[in-house]
Amino acid sequence: MRFLATTKIAFASLRSNLLRSFLTILGIIIGVLSIVLIVALGQGAQDLILSEFEGVGATAVILRPGKQPTGPADFSDTLFSESIKDRDIEALRKKENVPNAVSIDPSVIVPGAVSYGDELYRPTTFGWTATAIEELLDIQPESGEFFTADDIRERAKVAVIGSKVKEELFGDDDPIGQSITIRNHNVKVIGTFPSKGQLAFFNIDEVVLLPYTTAQRDILAIDYYQEIFIRADSEENINFVVQDVEATMREQHNITDPEKDDFFVNTQKDAVESISTVTDVLTIFLVAIASIALVVGGIGIMNIMLVSVTERTKEIGLRKAVGATNRDILTQFLIEAVMLTVGGGLIGTTGAIALAALAALVIRQQFALDWPLSVPFGAIALGIGVASAVGLAFGLYPARQASRKHPIEALRYE
Amino acid sequence: MESNTHRIIQAENLNKTYQTADTETIAIADISLSINDGEFISIMGKSGSGKSTLLHILGFLDRPSTGTYIFGGVDTTSLTEEELAFIRNDKIGFIFQAFHLLPKQTVLENVMLPLVYSRIPSREHRARAEEALERVEMTHRLYHMPPQLSGGEKQRVAIARALINRPDVIFADEPTGNLDTRTGEKVMHTISELNKQGHTVILVTHESTTASFANRIVIVQDGRILSDQPNERRHVHYQK
Repeated sequence: MRFLATTKIAFASLRSNLLRSFLTILGIIIGVLSIVLIVALGQGAQDLILSEFEGVGATAVILRPGKQPTGPADFSDTLFSESIKDRDIEALRKKENVPNAVSIDPSVIVPGAVSYGDELYRPTTFGWTATAIEELLDIQPESGEFFTADDIRERAKVAVIGSKVKEELFGDDDPIGQSITIRNHNVKVIGTFPSKGQLAFFNIDEVVLLPYTTAQRDILAIDYYQEIFIRADSEENINFVVQDVEATMREQHNITDPEKDDFFVNTQKDAVESISTVTDVLTIFLVAIASIALVVGGIGIMNIMLVSVTERTKEIGLRKAVGATNRDILTQFLIEAVMLTVGGGLIGTTGAIALAALAALVIRQQFALDWPLSVPFGAIALGIGVASAVGLAFGLYPARQASRKHPIEALRYE
Repeated sequence: MESNTHRIIQAENLNKTYQTADTETIAIADISLSINDGEFISIMGKSGSGKSTLLHILGFLDRPSTGTYIFGGVDTTSLTEEELAFIRNDKIGFIFQAFHLLPKQTVLENVMLPLVYSRIPSREHRARAEEALERVEMTHRLYHMPPQLSGGEKQRVAIARALINRPDVIFADEPTGNLDTRTGEKVMHTISELNKQGHTVILVTHESTTASFANRIVIVQDGRILSDQPNERRHVHYQK
């Protein structure tokens, strides 16, 4: 009853100073807008990345040579390690060693350019299996066909190329049956990938895919692998697969101390978790920066509230003279401050959602990414919650100043 | 006690001192005063005599440093701030020299202001305000803003605001101080009329014409009561 009346008074007073009220909350609007926008975009990016990884399959286990890199400067042990060879693949493929593995697909990366006639292009070239592409990424050739298990066994010099590679090397011509040159080896194009853009690890449009045997033995002339993709028969068994792969590899390499492993195993889950950690940390960092705007906005609120309290000293005196208690005055000014900041919070949140929607639209059109529009309710609650908290925190001091005024002195104030 | 039922105010040995850096200023010293229900009393004195301080203490806008103040049979000396706010809201009305109307609120809203802090249900507020405005003949200005009103009109709106809680006592602090003689006299007639309708009126002024409307005149000098006498030559002539 009394609270409602006090709210009305506060609202009327803010409305009578509309421009000033708006300018006062500008800082809060910007702060809340930044925070909600950052959280919404961060959430969108995370959702996008995670959905890409989901596409690659939650059952994937990846075995790499060397040591798990602990930082950006630490990749040399991985890139130059030659510890995983054919006999390891054979051991892993034995059913008794890794019973829950469905497929084991080794891969090698072939650095360098690819040419056709006078055209030259630097694609992402690697040797893998066709089944890995089919089953992990769920991609079929757009034209032509994949190489077969026989092609892998026979080290056939064949390749499937991405749409960008096709465009760069062949233009509008049909590439099927043509020969391209990779590191002085002639390779016949037998299929093309549909245009799918960026996937989790690579851009499929820029890929040249060879049988891993051809890439490894003939083109690179090496005897080791850079990555082994292993698929578990189910998500539940993924940890058994990891354990079995580790046990097999240690047996193969005569390792007793896990500290001395010359290989490491990652799962999709690990990747998802580490990406979530990265985006979360980034989001928290950006939110912390945006919070500075909120603090500045809060100080602006406090400043204007102090001015307002001084300006309205007589009003405070009069209200006390006709029966307002200290608490009534305190409530009135606190409500004013909170109304200001919550108003700013609402405007900021609305603006942030509009901008996030706009960003999603632009990203979808310009980058052909399936960017999800996520409106995190947590972020909205956060924005408005933080705005009210700022109002309470920075409104309290001016409101106390107002409530403590002596009625007579306040009435006499000129 | 039969006699006490008519006694609305009983102040005994009121003192008010202000402490500044190293000097002690005495505003009122040892003032005792009894006021009966229905009286119209003028407190007169020069500026600095302590008359305003006395009025503020009697009107619960200030507290005495020492002394006892019994209002309506209740000792108010030890009441909390909140209880004093309740008395200001429920038992008394205040009229100021400078009117103190909120400039951005209508006449009606200004008059209803005390009710915001009362327990009177909001559906009754408007009727009460109109009734109070009728008593000061201001019903034709309900939606005017104070800056649009003349001085006399402003003071009549302020009187309506003081009346809205149907107070036992109306306190007036130099109510004619900001008005010309004619308008001031009209306002005094209105206040006088309220006294006839049963409100106790306590008024502070330094103008003898204003004071002459009362039926009792207290003269204060240097914080003490110099004289306290019935007003024999009570103002009777009407302007109209």
